[in-house]
Amino acid sequence: MNSRLLLASLITWLSGCERPGGPHAVQPVAHDSLAWTQSAFNTNCRGCHSQGAEGAALPLMNANYWAVATDAVVIEAIAHGQGRSMPAYLADEGGPFTSAQIVSLVQGMRSLWGAKDGATGGESVAISPRVIAGDAGAGAAVFSQACAGCHGPQGSAGSVIDPLYLRLISNQGLWSATVYGRSELGMPAWNQAMPNRPTGLTAQEVADVVGWISAQRPKQQRVSDAP
Amino acid sequence: MNFLKGSLAWIEERTGAMAFVAPLMFHHVPRNAKWWYVFGSATLMFFTIQIVTGVCLATVYAPSAAQAWQSLNYIDTEVPMGWMLRALHGWSSNAMVVMMAIHMLQVFLHASYKYPRELNWITGVFLLLTTLALAFTGQVMRWDQDAYWGLGIGAAIADRIPVFGDQARALLLGGPIIGGETLNRFFALHVFVLPGAAIALVGLHMVLIIKNGISEMPKPGAVVVPSTYRKEFEERMHKDGVPFVPDAAQRDMVFCGVCLIGLVALAAFYGPFGPGGIPDPTLINTNPRPDYPFMWLFGAVSLLPPASETAIMLIAPAIVVLVLVAVPFLSNSGERAPSKRPAMVLLALVTVTAIAALTWEGTTSPWSPVMDGWSSLPTPSEFTKGRTPLEMQGAVVFQFAQCRNCHSLDGRGGKRGPALDDIATRLSYDQLVRQVQQGGGNMPAYGKNLDSAQTAAVVGFLSTLHPFNEPDAMTPGAQLPLPSGAATIR
Repeated sequence: MNSRLLLASLITWLSGCERPGGPHAVQPVAHDSLAWTQSAFNTNCRGCHSQGAEGAALPLMNANYWAVATDAVVIEAIAHGQGRSMPAYLADEGGPFTSAQIVSLVQGMRSLWGAKDGATGGESVAISPRVIAGDAGAGAAVFSQACAGCHGPQGSAGSVIDPLYLRLISNQGLWSATVYGRSELGMPAWNQAMPNRPTGLTAQEVADVVGWISAQRPKQQRVSDAP
Repeated sequence: MNFLKGSLAWIEERTGAMAFVAPLMFHHVPRNAKWWYVFGSATLMFFTIQIVTGVCLATVYAPSAAQAWQSLNYIDTEVPMGWMLRALHGWSSNAMVVMMAIHMLQVFLHASYKYPRELNWITGVFLLLTTLALAFTGQVMRWDQDAYWGLGIGAAIADRIPVFGDQARALLLGGPIIGGETLNRFFALHVFVLPGAAIALVGLHMVLIIKNGISEMPKPGAVVVPSTYRKEFEERMHKDGVPFVPDAAQRDMVFCGVCLIGLVALAAFYGPFGPGGIPDPTLINTNPRPDYPFMWLFGAVSLLPPASETAIMLIAPAIVVLVLVAVPFLSNSGERAPSKRPAMVLLALVTVTAIAALTWEGTTSPWSPVMDGWSSLPTPSEFTKGRTPLEMQGAVVFQFAQCRNCHSLDGRGGKRGPALDDIATRLSYDQLVRQVQQGGGNMPAYGKNLDSAQTAAVVGFLSTLHPFNEPDAMTPGAQLPLPSGAATIR
């Protein structure tokens, strides 16, 4: 055994800078990287907004969603929360993110899960129900044609007009459910085929249906748009 | 060479040092004392390393609450090889506790504590306590979140002492709360009081070893009879023993060398322990853990029934110490061979298994909630398919109310509460409402956090959680028809 070689390698090893247990400079992960987006999403969002049939709330790993939702709408929802169950994530409101991080997160999610060509094409329907006025009477007709096939006739148990359900969901939530659907759970998006509607609904029909469902809220709830 | 011999003779003539050391080096030890007898020496080696590295660390470490944490980072990143120094001190500390435990186990299994070595054992017990105290105070020296909360638990235990609780806590912390003086107090213990006590006890331990000799390997039938043992032992050693140097000492040196290589490798590859997060009590998003020598204790304390905590925390340690001290008095004569003492072997096995199991429980701590479960673990698809809109809202409430932090679905989520995959086969709708609203069995009440619609939604969701071929749980009598005219309220 060449003991000098052994000694030389031992000295090299002991004096080397890259010792496994030695101090490492901590590399902060830049919040504009997709790796950061994925990890921030996994920690903070995935519990509810997952993919496919997983997750209780609207899936965000979903090109359908990113085609309709504008950055401004998503940023608003993340920063200030929405409805009754989506908390505010802005640091000023007790959340974990700065406003710059929220912008990065939304842009990162769009490049991860949005259409690859960046196509949106859903602006026609991307109008807040607070602005577009739905006709509840017309909505009732649309509902019995296009929705009742799966959701059952008006007022049936477990339906979308269950008063308890309506106490938990905002008009925005009703509108999101109608527009984005949950195709993996059997509910088509607004522009996909549904009973008696091979090409889906028009933007006005979406507003009408949401208007009609909202009108079924228990009386004391109707004054507030978004409980 | 002649000069060296001359100098030694000059010193010897004036001090008699060799006359003192020679009997220590060349005293006779049993011929059959083979590799079983190296663990004590290895423990002593680790203690020596602790003193050397500890003195070096004390030259840089700032024992002040404001600067301790920064000074550790300074040692890690700025002082050349400072990280290695800390790594050696930390790993050697753990190794010392482990080696001491192995040494103690060997002495117990071979019943070496019997006549005339009772005091060898008792000084050993106090060395164990001193070493554990050094390990605990050393953890405090890191002055990070683990140190802070470890101190908090120590203070809370002291606080439980009846009548003198306040005084005991003040004595421990140097005031009513953990403050700047707490660190100085523990620093004084860690570098003056406890090492001094340990050195004195090691000296005493060694004097007793020289005085009483090293015990022979136990043989079935070779019983210890106190009235004749010493004379016979000394005769056997005189006739059949071998000198400690070089016979037994060389085995000690080989084993210590292997331990040293292992220690340096661990320190080089795994680096120093901590410091973890800054010791700021307002940062509650922390997961403090004690160091390994106390992990079993952490596991045991966490698993205690709440009502028994005070009694067990205060009385159990005293009983353990008393029993350890009493061991040589309970039986100091008779058989030493493990084959003739099956109950003692079983006791040792049970103790080792219990400590190993509790260490595992403490390390994994399944009782801790998964704090980001609610926001990171999606509802599995088998639990979202075919649900009504209200039940889907219930699944959202289930996440939002952070039920998932303590309850698992499909094996993912907290383990503090029961898994809920088939909860509907165990609790009926009404029982679920009661459990959610009023809590109970360690579960908080959610009646004030959830309104009636949220409760109805989440219970609606939970009511769907059962395997398709099993019936729902039913409240006794609930299937009877309601009296006519009774209002049905959902």
